[in-house]
Amino acid sequence: MHIRLARERPIRQSIRLTSEGGCFSLLVLAIGVVAVHTGNNLFYLLLSMMMSALAVSALAAVFSLRRLEIGRHLPDLLYANEPSPVALVIKNQKRWWPCYALRLMDVAADWSELNRGLVVPHLPSGASRILNYTLVPSRRGLLKLRGVKVSTTFPFGFFDKTAYYPSSAAVPVCPPLKPLPEWFMREVLKAGRERSVHRKGYGSDLYNLRLYQPGDDSRTIHWLTTAKTSQLIVRETEEDRERRATIHLSPLAPDSHDALFEDAVALAAALVCHLIRRGYWLRLVVGSVCSPFGYGDAHQVELLRILALCERQTPSKAMMSPPPDPLWLPDSEPEGAIIVVRAWCQAPIPAARELVSVLDVEALEKGPYVS
Amino acid sequence: MSLEQAFRISSILWAGVSFVALALGTGLPAWLVFFTTVALLVSFARAVGAMAGWFSVPQVVRSAVTWNVLVLAAFFGFVVESLTSGELLYAGLRFLMVLMIMKLFRLRDRGDYLHLHAITVVMMLAAALRADLWYVPLFIAYLALGVWTLFLHGMTRQRGNQPFTTFATTPRQQTTCPSGFEHGEEKVAACFFQMASGLALAVLCLTVLLFYALPRLETRSYHNDDGAVIRTAGFSDSVNLGALGPIKLDPRIVMRVELPDRAIPERKGLYLRGMTFDHYDGRSWVNRLGRRWPIRQTTQGIFALQGQEGGEQMAPELLSRQRILLEPLDTPVLFGAPFMEAVSGKLPAVQVDGGGSFYLPVPVANPLEYTAVSRPTTVLPADLHPSSFPSQYPEEFLRYFTQVPPTSDRIAALARTVAQHARTPYEQAMAVQDYLARHYRYSLALPVSDHTNPLEEFLFKRKTGYCEHYATAMAIMMRTLGVPSRLVTGFLATEWNEYGNYYVVRQQDAHAWVEIYLPHSGWIVMDPTPAGDENVASADGLWLAWTRLIDHLQLRWNRVVVQYSAADQLAIVQGVQTGGAAIGHKVRESFQILLETITGLMEKSVSLLVTATLGQAVATGFTVLVLLGLLRSMWLFRKRSQGKPLGMKEENERAGGPVTQLYEQMLSYLSAQGLQKPTPLGPLQFVNIVRHQWAEVSSMVEAITTLYCKERFGKVPLTLEEYDLARQRLGELRNRTRFASKSDLQRGIGAGNGI
Repeated sequence: MHIRLARERPIRQSIRLTSEGGCFSLLVLAIGVVAVHTGNNLFYLLLSMMMSALAVSALAAVFSLRRLEIGRHLPDLLYANEPSPVALVIKNQKRWWPCYALRLMDVAADWSELNRGLVVPHLPSGASRILNYTLVPSRRGLLKLRGVKVSTTFPFGFFDKTAYYPSSAAVPVCPPLKPLPEWFMREVLKAGRERSVHRKGYGSDLYNLRLYQPGDDSRTIHWLTTAKTSQLIVRETEEDRERRATIHLSPLAPDSHDALFEDAVALAAALVCHLIRRGYWLRLVVGSVCSPFGYGDAHQVELLRILALCERQTPSKAMMSPPPDPLWLPDSEPEGAIIVVRAWCQAPIPAARELVSVLDVEALEKGPYVS
Repeated sequence: MSLEQAFRISSILWAGVSFVALALGTGLPAWLVFFTTVALLVSFARAVGAMAGWFSVPQVVRSAVTWNVLVLAAFFGFVVESLTSGELLYAGLRFLMVLMIMKLFRLRDRGDYLHLHAITVVMMLAAALRADLWYVPLFIAYLALGVWTLFLHGMTRQRGNQPFTTFATTPRQQTTCPSGFEHGEEKVAACFFQMASGLALAVLCLTVLLFYALPRLETRSYHNDDGAVIRTAGFSDSVNLGALGPIKLDPRIVMRVELPDRAIPERKGLYLRGMTFDHYDGRSWVNRLGRRWPIRQTTQGIFALQGQEGGEQMAPELLSRQRILLEPLDTPVLFGAPFMEAVSGKLPAVQVDGGGSFYLPVPVANPLEYTAVSRPTTVLPADLHPSSFPSQYPEEFLRYFTQVPPTSDRIAALARTVAQHARTPYEQAMAVQDYLARHYRYSLALPVSDHTNPLEEFLFKRKTGYCEHYATAMAIMMRTLGVPSRLVTGFLATEWNEYGNYYVVRQQDAHAWVEIYLPHSGWIVMDPTPAGDENVASADGLWLAWTRLIDHLQLRWNRVVVQYSAADQLAIVQGVQTGGAAIGHKVRESFQILLETITGLMEKSVSLLVTATLGQAVATGFTVLVLLGLLRSMWLFRKRSQGKPLGMKEENERAGGPVTQLYEQMLSYLSAQGLQKPTPLGPLQFVNIVRHQWAEVSSMVEAITTLYCKERFGKVPLTLEEYDLARQRLGELRNRTRFASKSDLQRGIGAGNGI
């Protein structure tokens, strides 16, 4: 979650008459005509009262939307066609003047308003409110929000006063995640291999003992050996054995394969989530973008972010040669199972030292195709 | 009470206020008042009953078609009534009331309430046609209820469009508005009342400002003049004897008279002269000198008789000014104290007749304010001396003012008998006046008489009458004696309003008296009517004082609001300009004085420096430096106090939170019990110490300390429940005593210091 705070002073304001306000204004006009034609001062008194109500209504509405502080809580990652919680925080910074009947709505990059019925009936001075609403992104990509619109009809409902507080935010929207069946994953991973490596890292087994060096964690001191040798000795552990996989998503696809490319991205995202959940060390290669190997939830978010922002590329002759691995590993570093996801069957497959599982989304409708 | 219910109740109350105003102002028929009252009460009971669940009135008619038919029937009735009676306004008002009744029985959705609001506005507008002082409290109530209703409408409008969203509340919010919107429910709270009252006050202030600022255009094309004119008697060219009797039972106010030159009332009351009559035919008086001619207006806007010009040529002490606010009467007579010589005010034109009476061209339909200038007459010494008695008046003069009806022999004989010892006309007049006042009884309760000569009936038979009879008798008796006299009708103002320092003149103050012409003094006022024993306004003093206070307020209301005009606006603007110029002049003067003072001081300083010794110069320089340093220190202190970071302020506030104070009290109590907390020791470490040394209270100390840490370091405001818990624990702690004796306490303190 991250929070963006808007400024206290709105940069764009507007005010318009409501239907009730329009009728009331017409009534004021009619009474004004009657007052002028009759010269009755009590008509003037009523006219003054109604004009005062209009003026106070406009002034109170303007003052009500001043000195507000608005923040937005957004998830780090959204999923297309899946509801995600968004929280708006509004704080009344005015010292004496409470706010009433506030309506809040997010403003998207194209200035469209996301009106979710967020209403704050009463906001005392100095108080804050949190309002939650559900956001459902319609497609993968980068969701940009410009700011928050606050409007009110306080106090009499004659005017609809709107103020725009800029609070930009951009959140990547991942493709929708669909669970993959186990048999499918078995087929996919059959072509790869699982390797165990012995290397220094975080783990429980002893890997090495060495002299203490400045900067070493004091908790790693091996006291028994230190006592024997009268020198500070630290222990190094052996990294746990991990399974590895590399997912190649080919961005090449003609325009006619746009929907298939989105399916391919969705498949890649499902693979990422599935493999991460199973404890894989995973690497994702999308065109020229390549992530390092990693595991865990943080790494999954990073990979999904790459998938959220990747774009389809129209194939050309220069692109038809097998792409080099942008983060080619040394021979000692295994890359694990290699899974290539393609939206277009003619997209080149990267040359690899290992066996490659190719998933052609174009052909998946007939059944999983693994080569 | 929810906002929706408050909105419903407030709307009905709003309609009720406008209905009361309309009923007071326009005199609705009783059946309509009854039905509207019932409809309002039923609607109010339904709104309140829906709230409390103890009262429920079923919907009488549910079908929309039935309602539409009823509306059409009401409209048909309106058309028929307006065509038959010709009173479109009143027919429209009745139609409006019927619409409101139907709307009150059919208040279902928000649109119905908005229609009701529109009807209330029109009703208040109609009530303004006949408004009086009662309009003031009703207007204020209307404004307050209107603001409250519109405020609730604005609040519930949100809910009408979109459902409320659940939201989290913070402890700060709960403490700020404890009774509003708990757990996401919209309830009427005290803060709502405060806001609505503040808005109502703002609207009221702005209303007053706008009312006086809105330009008054003198382009009125509609005059509302039906039914407001007071019908009076005695002010036409021919008046029957006894015509004033009926109106002397009417307590309606016809005018108010201020005396700008004096703040206390006349001892005998103030005569306000209306018309004069010179010819009596035995049953009625006629004004044969009634031909009117216009008076030219001077450049100052004064209508003055030729050569008088507002009385500038006369000694000021001989003049009497009256500022008169005349209610709409059915006569064009302009009243004033005898003898009027000039009038001024918003008068289109003024005419005067041969008897010296002033007239407007036509009777006015609206209240009229003018100022009259009069020349009161006194009897000159020459008329008191018998030798100055002239033998004869001019022939033309006698022809008009010594005429007597044919059958007056008995009257002439009576007059001669009464005035047999009088040597001058003035003495004769006084003798006749005293005789009538002493031997005749004043009464308004006279039987209907068909006597051919009502004057003789009064003088010789009934010997009871009222002012007309007395005045007629005296005028005719004086004429039989050869003294010119005439009858005057007008008002005798005796009711003094001590709150506003003016006379209140009512219809019952209509009066008739006599003017006698003396050779040197001219016309003088004589009044033979004794004080009557009928007290028409028989009421106790408190009630009279109350009515006078109300009348004073009424007068102020009329002057400040009802009769506010473009001329008043012009006067205000001129006053502001004059005041602004005076203020500007004063500021310029002050600035000039200040400049001169500074220049003088500088000159003195320079001369001192030139002539000063080295020590004086150093002392002066040092003083200046000290002053500058002080100024800079003050400026820096002010800047620092203003620019203090917000976080620091909040930190200080947190340090002084309520539970922190309880914690400090706990430490103080523990210290008194021998457990003193060393400064470097943390709160939780101190809890461990307490646990080992006084285990009995450790749970209380731990609870308070935990809450203290939460408030002090957790950056989370505590709830009221947590504060109550801390206070409860502190109370329990104070009930425990660690040492039974003072020696134990001393030892305990020593142990505590050893931590």
